[in-house]
Amino acid sequence: MSEEPAVPPEGDRLPAEPDHSAGSQMANTMTREPSWRPRRRVVAERVLGVGSGVAALVPLAGLVAAVAVLLVEALPAIRYNGWHFITGSGFNPGNLYGKPVHTGGVLHFAGASYGAFPLIIGTIESAAIAVVVACPIAIGAAVLIVEKLPGRIANVVGFCLEVLAGIPSVVFGLWGVLTFGPWLSHNIYPALAHLPNFPPFSIFRGNTGYGQGLLSAGLVLAVMIIPIVAATTRDLLRQVPAATKEGAEALGMTDAEVFQTVQLRWVRTGVIGAIVLGLGRALGETIAVALVSGSILQTSSNIYGNMTTIAATIVSQLDAANTDTTGLEVKTLAEAALVLFLITVLVNIGARLLVRRSARGAALPVGAGF
Amino acid sequence: MTTAAPARSTQVDARHPHVMDAESVSLGFGSATIMQDITVGFPTGTITALVGPSGSGKTTFLRSLNRMNDKVRNFWKRGSISLYGEEIDGDSVDPLVLRRRVGMVFQRPNPFPMSIQDNIVAGVKAHKMAKRSDLRDIAETQLAEVGLWSAVADRMNDSPFRLSGGQQQLLCLARALAVKPEVLLLDEPTSSLDPRSTEAVEELVRRLTPGLTVIIVTHNLEQARRLSDNTIFFYQGRLVETGPTVELFERPKRPETARYLGGAVDPGVDR
Repeated sequence: MSEEPAVPPEGDRLPAEPDHSAGSQMANTMTREPSWRPRRRVVAERVLGVGSGVAALVPLAGLVAAVAVLLVEALPAIRYNGWHFITGSGFNPGNLYGKPVHTGGVLHFAGASYGAFPLIIGTIESAAIAVVVACPIAIGAAVLIVEKLPGRIANVVGFCLEVLAGIPSVVFGLWGVLTFGPWLSHNIYPALAHLPNFPPFSIFRGNTGYGQGLLSAGLVLAVMIIPIVAATTRDLLRQVPAATKEGAEALGMTDAEVFQTVQLRWVRTGVIGAIVLGLGRALGETIAVALVSGSILQTSSNIYGNMTTIAATIVSQLDAANTDTTGLEVKTLAEAALVLFLITVLVNIGARLLVRRSARGAALPVGAGF
Repeated sequence: MTTAAPARSTQVDARHPHVMDAESVSLGFGSATIMQDITVGFPTGTITALVGPSGSGKTTFLRSLNRMNDKVRNFWKRGSISLYGEEIDGDSVDPLVLRRRVGMVFQRPNPFPMSIQDNIVAGVKAHKMAKRSDLRDIAETQLAEVGLWSAVADRMNDSPFRLSGGQQQLLCLARALAVKPEVLLLDEPTSSLDPRSTEAVEELVRRLTPGLTVIIVTHNLEQARRLSDNTIFFYQGRLVETGPTVELFERPKRPETARYLGGAVDPGVDR
């Protein structure tokens, strides 16, 4: 193509197509391309601009709408329950056969009282167990896949991880309550309960139960988030430039030192992101926990004890809540959902601060930190 | 605060005029032979340039000198390469120690994802060559030696990725020099750099000898001519000609050498 600016005189132009848009006018005066082509390009540009703008707004609008609906729905419950909802326990709809009464403008049955403290604690405890158990396994697996296993076996293991990530949570829940939980309570928990009686092992003391409860729920959640953390870590490790690893090898470092110097630092922030992703899933997981937790609206007596989480309570109580003709119990469940949402947001903010702190001055290559 | 570069002692050993020797070395991957029957010595305290067309095996040969090919699948080697008369493949030789003694800098700068200071002392730390409290001084000394200290003095804890390409390569040189190597292997160290950075690297390399022996792979014949004491010309996996750089460039003995130095694309063909 010639660089010569060859704007043909008006008469030399290709016959212009009928003007549909303002864009074609601009195209006619500003380009030397045949007139039909710029118009298509202008239209494509607009479609891309508007389309991507809409696409970008959808998640934001969805989030705002969800929070707004939750807030409106939960507002009467927030007013009625007050701080008791955070600090108290027990879900008592009151005397369902009595006459509904008003308190502060909120209709409820006499004696209604809701406290979600055990739910909040259960949510945090089970998610914490899941993350503590899953992270070393997941990160170890990812390192093994990328650094040690020969390619073909690594692919098979990687494929298994992806399959594991795709299993519906109800399957995990059933497996947890029918197989995994009982197996744990027979083979693992008795041994754990006999660990030495000083911290941190002393938390394993006590009645080990029958396989449903806090630890079982945490472990099932761990199995569920392992593939998330492992697959992300694996992908991050694969992005570490070979040249940088060679630089460390050429200094006479051992494999472990090379890993510490290069890979670990390269993927650190990304792995924190993956852990938060897994933590988010553990906090919000519903059906698996509802099946494995033992579902009692109380704080677990020990690490094996029955418990519940916010998400599991919402799914297990919704039916009963609908029988509350004042609607307060449903509104209370909305309030619980709002609390769960807040916990998730706080965890995300915390993770961001952590990433920012670990990245400060730590010399992350551009684009390597998420 | 001292910014003077440390004096490197000349290590010419009467018994070993060559710091490294290759004897009848053949290299390859699987069924492919990359280098055949190379016998050559690298005189202590000199700069040797390895030149030759792409695919002539220069880089593979260079990487064999500190056993960087060990991990490459199906790599094989025959013949012997020695450092001060000791075979580098011997059972008693630890490849990690070998790599400390025979350092390497690569085609593209490859800083580690850590602060500038940590980059410089990474090798020093790995080989436990200094106390923790001395690390900062070592980093400063090394940066001064490569002429980077004034540019980075106030950002020792910052990312090296914000430095220019040339500065990053000097940083990598400083990192390699910090573990006090006896031989430095350079694999086209300036091919990704601008002319001024290239000049800085060349000037540094010149300054490092004769305290250090340098072996440099380069595609830049002018660079080989400017920089090296001896030149080895490789072509199609064979050592075609070797000798003092001036002689080789002025009076090449072999027609392939003459054609290559004359700018021929394929030195095997007389046109």
